[in-house]
Amino acid sequence: MATQTVRPTVQIGDEVREMNDAEFAQYEIDQAANIARLKADADKETARQAVLDRLGITADEAALLLG
Amino acid sequence: MPNEQTSVPLFVANTVLTASQQNLSAGTGVPVFATTVTRDAAFGGSNKALAEGQLCYLSSTNVVQYYDGAAWATVGPSTASGLTFITGTTFSAQTAVSLPTSTFSATYANYRIIFNITSASNDANDYIRFRTSGTDNTTSTYSSAAKFLSYAGTNTDTYAVADTLGYTFGHGTAIGATRVWDIINPQATAYTLANFSGNIAFGGAGGYGGGGVGFLATTSFDSMTFYTPTGTITGSYKVYGYSNS
Repeated sequence: MATQTVRPTVQIGDEVREMNDAEFAQYEIDQAANIARLKADADKETARQAVLDRLGITADEAALLLG
Repeated sequence: MPNEQTSVPLFVANTVLTASQQNLSAGTGVPVFATTVTRDAAFGGSNKALAEGQLCYLSSTNVVQYYDGAAWATVGPSTASGLTFITGTTFSAQTAVSLPTSTFSATYANYRIIFNITSASNDANDYIRFRTSGTDNTTSTYSSAAKFLSYAGTNTDTYAVADTLGYTFGHGTAIGATRVWDIINPQATAYTLANFSGNIAFGGAGGYGGGGVGFLATTSFDSMTFYTPTGTITGSYKVYGYSNS
């Protein structure tokens, strides 16, 4: 039995419709890119915290040092 | 135009008041002229009294003017400056919200957009893309730079070069996000630059952010899309055109 995919909707002016094939394909690309961006942000935060831990100072104290 | 006149009659004793003169007076309330040239000509002549308080309407520029005793001044609507409302609507639980095709036109070079997300299904990022003839531009031509300061005092910077979209931090389920955008030269065959500021969110935390997105190619756009890759957004937008002079 075939399953029907419910695609996200888009609104153009006052018209609301499901994404067309091209829009949905781009949406999936964007989702993957967004996950990569979120991971990069998280990795950056982890690295920042690791440096603070090695130095034994808090983020506020680091901000004071960098003034 | 039917109401336009080329003279302003001055009645003296025994002058005949014609039906057309009376109808013109009754139909307009104030004299209507094609241009400032016909206006000045109509009030000219030694037997005419152009005095302070005189009103007129100009068809060429669609404005009402008054004479202040020395010169004509515009009452309104003025075409000299300001913002003109173009379009706006509400949206509910959408992934992408696009302005109507031809929102950006040759009428205005620059635009202001108030984009207000009042609620959202997720804490997520917000992106923009420019649009031509109903299709988002997804080329790797967008560059973004933005700063965010949370209400708790945490600073975050973000930037990207040659990306397929413009990055603008995000919105939160608790506070939504409100951005005031200035869009520079979207219709012209020049770089399109978009600047934003507002109460926004990052990682679900509220705060203030501002930044810019540049589409670094000379593509002409007639619209743009506001977009979240995670969940949906609900809110409204209003678009205004900056007067060119």
